[in-house]
Amino acid sequence: MRKLLTGNEAVAEGVIESGVEVVTGYPGTPSTEVVLTLLPQEKELGIHIEWSVNEKVAFEIAAGAAWAGKRALVTMKMSGVNVAADSLASIAYSGCTGGLVVFVADDPGVSAGMPEEDSRYYAKSMVVPMLDLASQQECLDYVKFAFEISEKIGGPIFLRSTTDISHVASDVEIGKKLKLEKREAHFERDIAKYTKAGAAWCMAQHQDALNRLAEASKIYDSYITESGIKVNETHFEDGSKLGVIYAGAVEGNFKEAFKKYNLKLSWLKIGMVHPLPEERIKKFLEKVDRVLVLEELDPLIEAEVIRIAYILNKKVEILGKFDKTLSLIGNYSFKKIKNALEVLLKTKLESGQNSNILEKAKKLEVKRPTSFCIGCPHRGTYFALNKAIKNLKYKKDEIIITGDIGCTILGMSKPFESCWTEVAMGASIGLAQGFKWAGIKKPVIATIGDSTFFHAGIPPLINAVYQKVHLTVIILDNGWTAMTGFEENPGTINLNGVTNTKRVDVVEICQGCGIEDIQIIDPYQSEKATDAIMKAIEYPGVSVIVSRRECALQAKRKKVKFPQRKVNIDKCTGCRICLSSLACPAMVFHPKDANSKAYMEITSACFGCGLCEFTCPTGAIEVIKDGK
Amino acid sequence: MENNFYLIGVGGQGVIRLGQIIADYGLEKDEKVKFFKEVGMAQRGGPVHCEIRIGDVYGSRIPPLSSDIIVVMELSEGLKSLEFIKPGGTVILNRKRIYPIDMMTHPEKYPQDEEIIRLFKEVKAKIIWIDAGKIAREAGLPIAENIVLLGALSFISSFDKESMINMLKKHIPRELDKNIAAFREGYKTAEGMDK
Repeated sequence: MRKLLTGNEAVAEGVIESGVEVVTGYPGTPSTEVVLTLLPQEKELGIHIEWSVNEKVAFEIAAGAAWAGKRALVTMKMSGVNVAADSLASIAYSGCTGGLVVFVADDPGVSAGMPEEDSRYYAKSMVVPMLDLASQQECLDYVKFAFEISEKIGGPIFLRSTTDISHVASDVEIGKKLKLEKREAHFERDIAKYTKAGAAWCMAQHQDALNRLAEASKIYDSYITESGIKVNETHFEDGSKLGVIYAGAVEGNFKEAFKKYNLKLSWLKIGMVHPLPEERIKKFLEKVDRVLVLEELDPLIEAEVIRIAYILNKKVEILGKFDKTLSLIGNYSFKKIKNALEVLLKTKLESGQNSNILEKAKKLEVKRPTSFCIGCPHRGTYFALNKAIKNLKYKKDEIIITGDIGCTILGMSKPFESCWTEVAMGASIGLAQGFKWAGIKKPVIATIGDSTFFHAGIPPLINAVYQKVHLTVIILDNGWTAMTGFEENPGTINLNGVTNTKRVDVVEICQGCGIEDIQIIDPYQSEKATDAIMKAIEYPGVSVIVSRRECALQAKRKKVKFPQRKVNIDKCTGCRICLSSLACPAMVFHPKDANSKAYMEITSACFGCGLCEFTCPTGAIEVIKDGK
Repeated sequence: MENNFYLIGVGGQGVIRLGQIIADYGLEKDEKVKFFKEVGMAQRGGPVHCEIRIGDVYGSRIPPLSSDIIVVMELSEGLKSLEFIKPGGTVILNRKRIYPIDMMTHPEKYPQDEEIIRLFKEVKAKIIWIDAGKIAREAGLPIAENIVLLGALSFISSFDKESMINMLKKHIPRELDKNIAAFREGYKTAEGMDK
């Protein structure tokens, strides 16, 4: 059966068809939809699926299940591999008995702001094989393939995707479910394999990992998946001395150009990017004189191709990033690939749209700055925070506010312009301490969301308590991992109220960490919230504000209702202070015209947070009562 | 056969839903389909665009100068699509401006309709100028602008009208009758302009 699936949905389908029994992950663009697709089917599938508290924990759970002989898959974005890396490296040495697949999605082109890290380095440094996905069908096929390899060699394997694979939908052939024998969970005690006590064992494990890698490359170089995809594939074009070596998401655009321009050249597709098919690359280089290497991000394959050409002692021109034919930055559009092919072929293939027209269009384009959603509680928190700073007679540009990952970072944008930094999960609290020890005399404030706090914000908070740092931490607790698409976290009260999980309270965690000054505020109650933040900033020690109000979009889904607001046009002077202090998308400004004075309107999209009432100097914003 | 559709607008206009319906139509017709969506900060009023490729295609993104039809749901966003229009291709321009918040107080900074149209003319596109909002309101469902535009697109692409209506039944859970009415009106409008 054919179905239209995104890469991530196809991975989820692969999970179902592979007999996986434990699926874990932490949300992160562009990897999120694998677990998101599977989670509603958890009961029906009879397997365990969870959003774990962070990627390291997620990986450890999957690894434990694989050590007990089951098939397990863990998902994360490339930044998440950094978090999981400690355990990953260790378990990579030990190997596993059940299949263990680590699905990681890189984000070249940055669809969600984070470093453009290339996760392929991890495969090298951890001695773990890695498959690189080049199409949505591969997403499904390679999950099955990855489990087969993992169990055959007895070690974990990376399945690497990128945004252009994960977030694109394509017709995918589905429905060939593997029939696996039922497995009983069983773990054999073997401390030479599963502990790291002593150099001899560690080095023996290192050797085992290297052996697994060699085995993977030996067995699977010529593997063909059930839908007929060759994992590594070579095409020799008679009479051509030109070649392209490629891997991953570039396949679509390369094949597109190949067809469109009727190219006559040899090519080599690499599906297993670690270890590389060395013999295959050698044979390819023997037949070509000039090669273009197409891979997004870093020149890992290119460097190896240069090394292999050196060993061959053959003069091959190798084009890629070292000679600056291609960029290290961003994803590879059709145009970039076409331009690189022009360098390879030394001919012009096609010219694009008139650049004058495009420049004119660029100048006219309207910028759409991001702001908080209608009713977003974070708007209230930053509004109150800025006010508290002002009331304490500080200037805005002298109070450092460290920000963190997630929706809360939108506090860096207009109109609040509160946050100064965004680094990594939980880093706001650690960085803030560094500023204090460096000698910043004025208050330093860290802001962080609930999920980010659970993920990696607790250790730096404990550190701050222990070191007695004068610091204010504001935890913006909206109850959801909202930025990536409303995933649950340990603090979530889910939509239908039915759950097997126990809710963990941010406030109790802070108390347990030894925080003595904790205040809970409601960001919709602006005046009280401002007072509380002022007190917290003045407290000589670690103070915590928990700003608690559910994500407005989720509250709306739960049918939570607040009284909407309207503008009393008689009182409105059209000053727009409400708009410029809150940037609420429910507000519309009507400029003065022949029939009417300038005035504001609050549309029916209003959620009823009521913050605008606190901004209006003339009291023109009123609660709608009985529809009036 | 190769058909490329580039749809662009801002969050909340139903750009992605429109794309899904077209992509599913392609699948139903037993063609190869690629469906790319750029959502980003859509939830927060940001730009949204998607691309649907149906037929003998490999890449998920439409190469420059290759889009048969461009649907511009929000005028200024349409400027981003100029690179992709095929000479002689059609652009369906929805008469709709959505001001970002900082422009709300200075609407004069928003590009003039004529400026946008002129650029589309310069890239040799056929222009279909539609007030989908008005048509949707008349069909009794103001939110169905995207479905009105689907109607216009279906006429221009010679899509099978009845199979497309079946797609609406599959993809639209609420207010089906009004959506079908919006679709038919959009179709008729494009048909009328063709005469």
